[in-house]
Amino acid sequence: MSTVVESQFEPRALVAPSPGRVMLRRFLRNRVAIAGAVVIILAVVFSFAGPLLWHTDQTHTDLTAANLAPSARHPLGTDAVGFDELGRLMVGGRTSLLIGLSAGILATVIGTVWGSVAGYAGGWVEAVMMRIVDAGIAIPALFILLVIAAIAQPNTAGLVLILGLVSWLVPSRLMRAETLSLKHSDYIQTLRAIGGSHARAIVHHIVPNSVSTIVVAVTFQIADSILLVAYVSYLGLGVKSPDTDWGGMLSQGLSQAYNGRWWLIVPAGLVIILVVCAFNAIGDGLRDSFEVGGRR
Amino acid sequence: MTARLGPVARGRAVGLAATAEAALIALTACTSGSGPSTSGGSDHADTVSYALPAGVVPNWILPISTPGHTNSNNYSIQNLLWEPLIAYNGSSGSGKIQFDPKASVASSYTFSPDGTSVTITLNDMKWSDGEPVTSRDVEFWFNLVTANKTKWARYRPGAMPDDVSSFTTVDDHTFTLTFDKVYNQNWLLSDNQLNEITPLPYHAWAKTSADATVDTSADLDRTTAGAQAIFSYLNEQAMDVSSYSSNPLWKVVDGPYTLSQFTTTGQVTFVKNAHYDGKDPASIGTVKLLPFTTVDAEENAVRAKEVDYGYIAPTDVSQKSTFTRLGYQIEPWKGWAITYIPYNFNNPTLGAAFKQLYVRQAVQRSIDQKNIAGVIWNGAATPTYGPIPQGTPNDFISSTQKTNPYPYDPSAAKKLLTSHGWSIGSDGIAACAQPGTADDQCGAGVAAGTTLSMTLVSQSGSTVTDNMMSTIKSSLAKAGIGLTVKDVPANEVLAQTPKCTPDDAACSWQLSFFGTAGSWYFPAYPTGDQLFYSGGPTNFGSYADSQVDSLIEQSSSSTSNEPIQQYSAALTKQLPVIWLPNPDYQVSAVSTGLKGVTQDPLSRFHPQRWSW
Repeated sequence: MSTVVESQFEPRALVAPSPGRVMLRRFLRNRVAIAGAVVIILAVVFSFAGPLLWHTDQTHTDLTAANLAPSARHPLGTDAVGFDELGRLMVGGRTSLLIGLSAGILATVIGTVWGSVAGYAGGWVEAVMMRIVDAGIAIPALFILLVIAAIAQPNTAGLVLILGLVSWLVPSRLMRAETLSLKHSDYIQTLRAIGGSHARAIVHHIVPNSVSTIVVAVTFQIADSILLVAYVSYLGLGVKSPDTDWGGMLSQGLSQAYNGRWWLIVPAGLVIILVVCAFNAIGDGLRDSFEVGGRR
Repeated sequence: MTARLGPVARGRAVGLAATAEAALIALTACTSGSGPSTSGGSDHADTVSYALPAGVVPNWILPISTPGHTNSNNYSIQNLLWEPLIAYNGSSGSGKIQFDPKASVASSYTFSPDGTSVTITLNDMKWSDGEPVTSRDVEFWFNLVTANKTKWARYRPGAMPDDVSSFTTVDDHTFTLTFDKVYNQNWLLSDNQLNEITPLPYHAWAKTSADATVDTSADLDRTTAGAQAIFSYLNEQAMDVSSYSSNPLWKVVDGPYTLSQFTTTGQVTFVKNAHYDGKDPASIGTVKLLPFTTVDAEENAVRAKEVDYGYIAPTDVSQKSTFTRLGYQIEPWKGWAITYIPYNFNNPTLGAAFKQLYVRQAVQRSIDQKNIAGVIWNGAATPTYGPIPQGTPNDFISSTQKTNPYPYDPSAAKKLLTSHGWSIGSDGIAACAQPGTADDQCGAGVAAGTTLSMTLVSQSGSTVTDNMMSTIKSSLAKAGIGLTVKDVPANEVLAQTPKCTPDDAACSWQLSFFGTAGSWYFPAYPTGDQLFYSGGPTNFGSYADSQVDSLIEQSSSSTSNEPIQQYSAALTKQLPVIWLPNPDYQVSAVSTGLKGVTQDPLSRFHPQRWSW
């Protein structure tokens, strides 16, 4: 009995866990978020390591093997020009994930810089910068994408740039709101009082203290970018053969829908759904974790 | 925190909605395409809807076409409004291309015994405003074309109107054309000569501005300056597509239909010409032409029974029974056509390489026509190895073209390049390592380091075309030839790939494809003088060969088929373009209730003959 009483008053039991640990614990308890993370890891492994195990020629067409139904040799069949569909899914995944991740991160970086500068500067600078954001949001991103893609035939890098440049508007609004609440905090005021520069205030204090917002935003941006890539490719304006992405595969396969060639559509459609849902689930999980962390 | 995350949450909602959309698309694959057994298309007995080819938008109304406005749908539309003098088409349904007296303004034509002139008599017809159609209206067309021949898309030096030395009016309904020498009469009648003439309403069009009044006694068109001024005005009016249905000029017609709608997006509606008194009256009151950006979109419209006369993708021929249950007849529409990719011989970067026959041979040996036709086109295309259509038996084709001197063999293609001074780089693309004109060098004008990496401007809107281009790109890569494909709508392909000289900014194009439904539909006599004659109006790549020119000239004047067969053999060997399988014009889906439909090998449609 006495032993139990002693253990209740051990000094280390009084030390509160760090906010980071609390957030991690909270995140790990969120089963949906964990499932999302698992799906993303599997998708990355499948797309990037898969071709090391499943060797297929994704450069040269083979018309003698076109439109084959799933079999042991081609578990997901072949497409209209003879590409193995399983290997195609891997190649397409590389493009979709690469573009989605890169464009999502690029959009968040641009949005973070724009929003933090606007929020910190205030006054007419903020007014002008945020009206630009308002104007940008008023134009549908898909419309801009279609116009750009119709003018220039984009490659992977081009798509990343284009998607990043049309997707930064929402993160910038988030970051501006976060900055507005942080710029009046004591540590920023103290920094300014001792002669710290505006740039230092933004780079070393406001942005690091907004990391929760940024991390949550980036997950949703990645999901949105993957969908945008799928949209653009579905409309026939994405990367060109022999490159492909999941949206492009869906687009190519759709013409075969009525011929019963489900393997050209269902796998690509499912992976898009799974990966986009997974990123959204991770974003939800992170948001919940940061909220708890903030309360602690 | 919640308020701050609002926009993200909204973005997520959009994302989830889009995800659901993707799910729906995926689930579409699991559904069946069959539906109730009813007649397809319109429910209105006096209306018929016709689907235009994917990506094709009609863009020219004046029956004197200018470059960039030569798609066959423009001609079909023009012929519904203004009947040609001598209609030469395949509307009989027999597959033969022949004189169609019903659709012609001419009632008869008679060649002089020595063959140097033809006298033509007109039917007794009236324009829609009540004025008679006369010889003067034919002369008006002739004068306009003569004074503006270099602007006419059909003009080739030596042919119409150069081959006509005089136009003599006998009376209001009879005239005589005298030629500068004796020509093959089949060629005169059917190869963009007499069959190109369209009587135009002189009394309504012979003016130079909208406000001007036509003075029929002034004979403005009989002077070169006057004819040029009139043509300039008409051309300017024809450029304004959005005004076609309202412009008074285009209301004066002698064809079976008049125009009631013509949008810049390609939606065209005709109504029956109440004043028509020719021999080819319309049966159905309203004809609607519907544009589509993709074959898939059009096929979905067929499935929804939104068109009476449409088409399906060649890959979906296996679903014939499904469309039959929907109330359609599925019939391939064979065209009297060839399909090809022109080289731009004047391109500053690769023009010199294209001029080397061994380079063209290497490219041609990389085209697997048999499998492209069989697998990608699902049999709805015919391998074609030269300038004469091979889908229909004919007397013009040579044995050389039939037997294909350049069968598919990427290894042989690669060897052709490496044996002529090209080396394959680490990127797999051949580069000229040994410039010069010796047998084992790259050839005249090909600079050291020139890479054989080509760019193709290709017609968008067809998955089958996309797959064909993927296959060609793949097989070219095996030979060490790079290909980048840039997709644009069909009209844009024609606009971006004009005839040019090396100094022109517009000469940056290298290869051009506009043949999803066939690149070129011949008149009955397939000399190809428009395509391959030096300076020919649709010789986009500026191919020039004096021997070929001579054979074309001989074929237009000789009564024998030997010159045209020699021409067939010469171009099969010379490869002025990349020969491709010629697809059927389309795999038609025609509502079972629609009668009188014939699929003209010239790709023209004749809705005045249709009825419910």
